[in-house]
Order: sequence, then structure tokens, then C-alpha cells
Amino acid sequence: MPLRRILVANRGEIALRIVRAARSLGMETVLAASVADRDSVAAREADRVVVIGPAAARASYLDARLMVHAAKATGCDGLHPGYGFLSERSSLAALCEQEGIAFVGPSATSIEAVGDKLAARRLAKAAGVMMTPGSAKLESAEDAVAFADAIGYPVVTKASAGGGGRGMVVARDTRSLRDGFARASIEAKEAFGDGTLFVERYVERARHVEVQVVGDGAGRVLHFGERDCSMQRRYQKMVEEAPAVALPVATRARLHKAAVDLLAAINYRNAGTVEFLYDVDRDEFYFMEVNARIQVEHPVSEMITGVDLVQLQLRVAGGEASSFRQSDIAVDGHAIEARILAEDPDRNFAPSPGRITQWLAPRGEGVRIDTAMEVGASVPPFYDSMIAKLIVHAADRPGAVARLRDALEQFQISGLATNLRLLRAIVGHRDFIEGRFDTRWLETVLLPSFVERRDS
Amino acid sequence: MTIIPARDIEALVRTFDVSDWDEMRVVVDGLELYLSKNPADRARLASAPNSAVSSATATDKPPSPSAKSTSKPAAIDVPEGMVVVRAPNLGTFYRAPKPGAPPYVSIGQKVEPETELCLIEVMKLFTSVTSGVGGTVQKILAEDSQLVEFDQPLFLIDPRS
Repeated sequence: MPLRRILVANRGEIALRIVRAARSLGMETVLAASVADRDSVAAREADRVVVIGPAAARASYLDARLMVHAAKATGCDGLHPGYGFLSERSSLAALCEQEGIAFVGPSATSIEAVGDKLAARRLAKAAGVMMTPGSAKLESAEDAVAFADAIGYPVVTKASAGGGGRGMVVARDTRSLRDGFARASIEAKEAFGDGTLFVERYVERARHVEVQVVGDGAGRVLHFGERDCSMQRRYQKMVEEAPAVALPVATRARLHKAAVDLLAAINYRNAGTVEFLYDVDRDEFYFMEVNARIQVEHPVSEMITGVDLVQLQLRVAGGEASSFRQSDIAVDGHAIEARILAEDPDRNFAPSPGRITQWLAPRGEGVRIDTAMEVGASVPPFYDSMIAKLIVHAADRPGAVARLRDALEQFQISGLATNLRLLRAIVGHRDFIEGRFDTRWLETVLLPSFVERRDS
Repeated sequence: MTIIPARDIEALVRTFDVSDWDEMRVVVDGLELYLSKNPADRARLASAPNSAVSSATATDKPPSPSAKSTSKPAAIDVPEGMVVVRAPNLGTFYRAPKPGAPPYVSIGQKVEPETELCLIEVMKLFTSVTSGVGGTVQKILAEDSQLVEFDQPLFLIDPRS
């Protein structure tokens, strides 16, 4: 039975995206909004709005019981959690199951199976998906050397008791590992009270790649190609693209298979993403984690496959037998997304809430904007700072880069500080144009010169 | 009079929301902003319509994380001096402790600040709502067994009688 009425348990651009996707499938929507969002664009376009709680997310967007109560009281038969907030809380999925509301996402069991890091690694291992080679806890520097000799250099030491860079020493040969091991162990001991170390393969040049999948819950999992999200600052993605042209075609095929195998093994249902670290020098990829939800950057996959993934999510949740076969999903051209944030790069990316006084968004062929902003709309200080996603599509990567550059030039936002100037600097940089960057590039190459240029 | 930007007010409200302060008063030129986490202050604020809240909400509707105290007037007309009791959270509104039982209160009834007025149910968890002010029940604004939203007006209380 197709769903008839959906509760949208989210805000901002993704709430609006879900409202519109549902409407185009003939479904009604009820938006669960906080007080701060009762006048949002999504609230205007939804069939009904219920004010779920105060602006503070913990008493509104993070309360699963309020969401499910609102869904039942307004006669919804489905609930879409969007991304962030409650989207990967198995408790919400379980509550929906219990109350007979179709959760637009995986089962509670699946969310738990992939949500726990160790459980997810066990799954990956069982499915034959490679992880970063690493040792068990090590007794001595000699044990570390023996392990490193076996897997090859470079390697990195890691503290068994904690992270945050303490106890981490990168070693490129036997001697530096011997020297570094003692230093790292002392550092770990000081930081965590435990000097125990293990050693992992160090990926010199890493790209973040991920595979978009949708499962039918009965063991069939389709993939919609991969994305490259290496342009990050502090693990926050800023620019994403598809396909991941840095990977050889054969490697991409192996990547897709790994993602599909991993999730087919648990009869995964609805949209999900499997994230990998790609080692450029070795041409190998390692499993990182599964995101059991629709992701911010899903539009780039939509642009190259022509499939509306949010509509597909709603149809899968309604139990519709998918008419898709893998062979129906073809990749066409190249797409790039840039995240527009209400953050000020000149003030260490301080959030910059406020009211939009000017909003001139680019338009044209191959240009798409996913946003809930307009002139007069306010960016409340309570939530995430992303205000828009600018997505471009062209026949190939150079064409997409050019289109993105032009679109960013045209984009004008006033009333609050944004990262537009930084995005223009990224897209205009030779390394980006030529596709020569890794996950550390933005922080180590671009940002230092970007800040310097402003100061001079 | 200086125009205070909405973002400044939002920042103040946010600061207050995450703090452990009970109340905060800011006076700048013609603007007086009073925030409180004490539900009983609703009475005081509503009975002084020319003071803090009305001027604060008149500026640029800052989102109010603690709408108990800074709630903007909703779509109802509140006669001068009357106090509105609002829903502390979304849920189902029940006027009686159980089906068939007499309602907690009826129109014209005298109430104390501690008097229970209704129940709000969320997924079978019931929370009682008290008046917060002494007076007489003038109006009941929500329908029994129906969904009420966060901050929705439920009762009108006349504190002078």
C-alpha cells in the first residue's frame, strides 16, 4: 500500500525536499516544526504544521515520542526522519514499528547493526570488505616493527585508550617506528593513563569515497554509484561530487560490490551510504562506516542517475516492489555540490545566524538549489548552519567545475556571513580544477593561504 | 530609539536558555526584555501587558526556546488582565483524569495556582498541567481528546476574580 500521509520529522532544506517529493507522489505531508520554524517555507508548503516543541532541539526535533504521537494524532501512515536529529536513532524506528507507522528508513535492527562501530566492522569483515590493516595491542617496539614489516610502510601508531591525535606517530621506516614508538607510548600514557599502542597502515593521500544504496528489505540492494567527498574541514564535508573520477573504473566496480554485499547481508531496507577511505597510492579502499539514512549530499547521485532518491525512499517505505534493476541505473555526466553555510571563514567559521536581506540564487541549465531560504527568512541560532546546497550537473567534470564556478559567482546573499568566498576560492584553485586533492587538502593547503590573503 | 537587531535578541535568548539562570532582564533604550524559566511568571507578565514581553515581541519575533515565559500572543484575543495557560508540550488534551470522570475544572470555577486543569498525554505518558495562577476559569480553549500543539492556549484565567 502506498503511503498516504507522511510526518516530516525534520527542518530546513531537507524538510522542504521531503514535502515536495511526497506531494509529487500524491501524498500529504504534516510538518513537525519547532516554534522557531513555524513560519518556515516547509511549513508554508506542507499540508499541515504541528508545533512540536520549543526551539531547543532536545525538546522538539530530538524527541521521538513527540514525533510519533504527532504522526498518530494527525493520521500519518509514514514518518520521514530526514538526516541528523533522530534519523539514526533505532528508538524512533522501533517506536514507529510498534505503532504501525512506516518508518522511511531501515529497520531498528539494521540501524543498530550498522550504528555500532564494532558491530559494523564485524559485518564488513563477514562480507569480505577490507578495513584498514591494523595490529592488535602491542607489547613493544619490536612487535610494532614486525607488524609494519609485514604490512608495509608508512604506518601510524595509535593509543589503545583514546584518540584525538595523542599517541599518534607516523613512521615511514623501521628506524623512525622504533624511535617513535617510545615517544607515542609516553604521550598516550600521559594523556590517557595507559601507554598501550597498536599500529595501523597510514594512508598518505586519502580520498573519502562512499556508495549510495537503496535496499528493498528482502535482500536486494541496488547502488546508485559513488561520491567523492574529500573536500572537508574537520570531518565536515564542504564539496561533494559524483562520480569519483580519482578512482580507476575497475576499483569503482569493486567499491560498489563491497557496499552492496555488506548491506545485502542484513536485508537492508531503504536508503543508506557506505563510506570508505581510498588510498590513492595503493589503489585500495577501506571500510569506514555506514550511514543509515538519506545524506546531505544525495543530490549529486540523483543528478548523475536521474533518480529522485527521496521519492524512491517514500515508495520503498510504502512497500512498493521496486521496478528498478541494477542495469536500469546508468550514470550520466558529472555532478558537484557545494554546501553554503551561514558561517564566517574570516572568524574561524563562527556561526552567523540572522535574517536574509538579499538572496540572489543562480539559475540556468544544470543548476539546482536545495534550500528553504528566501529574502526575509531567518537562520535561527539553534540548529545546523547549512542554508543551501548548490548542485551543478554537466556532461563531464570540467564542464561541471565551470558551471559551479559561474554559479558561485552569481550567488549573492546578504544579511549574514557565509562561506561563499571560500567556496569560490576552492573551485577556482588549480588543485580542485585538476582533481588533485585529498581529505587534508582544504585544511593544510587552501585554508592557510586563504586566511593569509585576507590578512595581507 | 535604537532598533535592536533580531539576531541580538536571539543571542540573548539562547544565552539565557543554556544558562542556569532563573530570569534575565535587559533594558536598552526603549526595549525591555524579560526572560524567566518560572511558569508562574506567565501570570505576572500577562497581567502587565504594557511591560517587557509585549515590547520584545513587537520587535522582530525572536524564536523563543523558553516559550513558557516569552510566548508570543497566538491567534486568540486575550482580554486585558487575563492569563493564558498554554500547553507545555505537544500531546492529547484531556479535561478529565479518566473517561467518564468529571472534568478537572469547568467555566466559572475558582482555581489556585496548584489546581490541576487538565492532562496532556504523549504516547501514554500523562502530564498534568496546573493553573500557575489563582483566579477564575473564564474559557476553555482546547477540545477534549484532541491534539494540542506546544504552546497552544488551553485555558483563560481571570486572576482578579
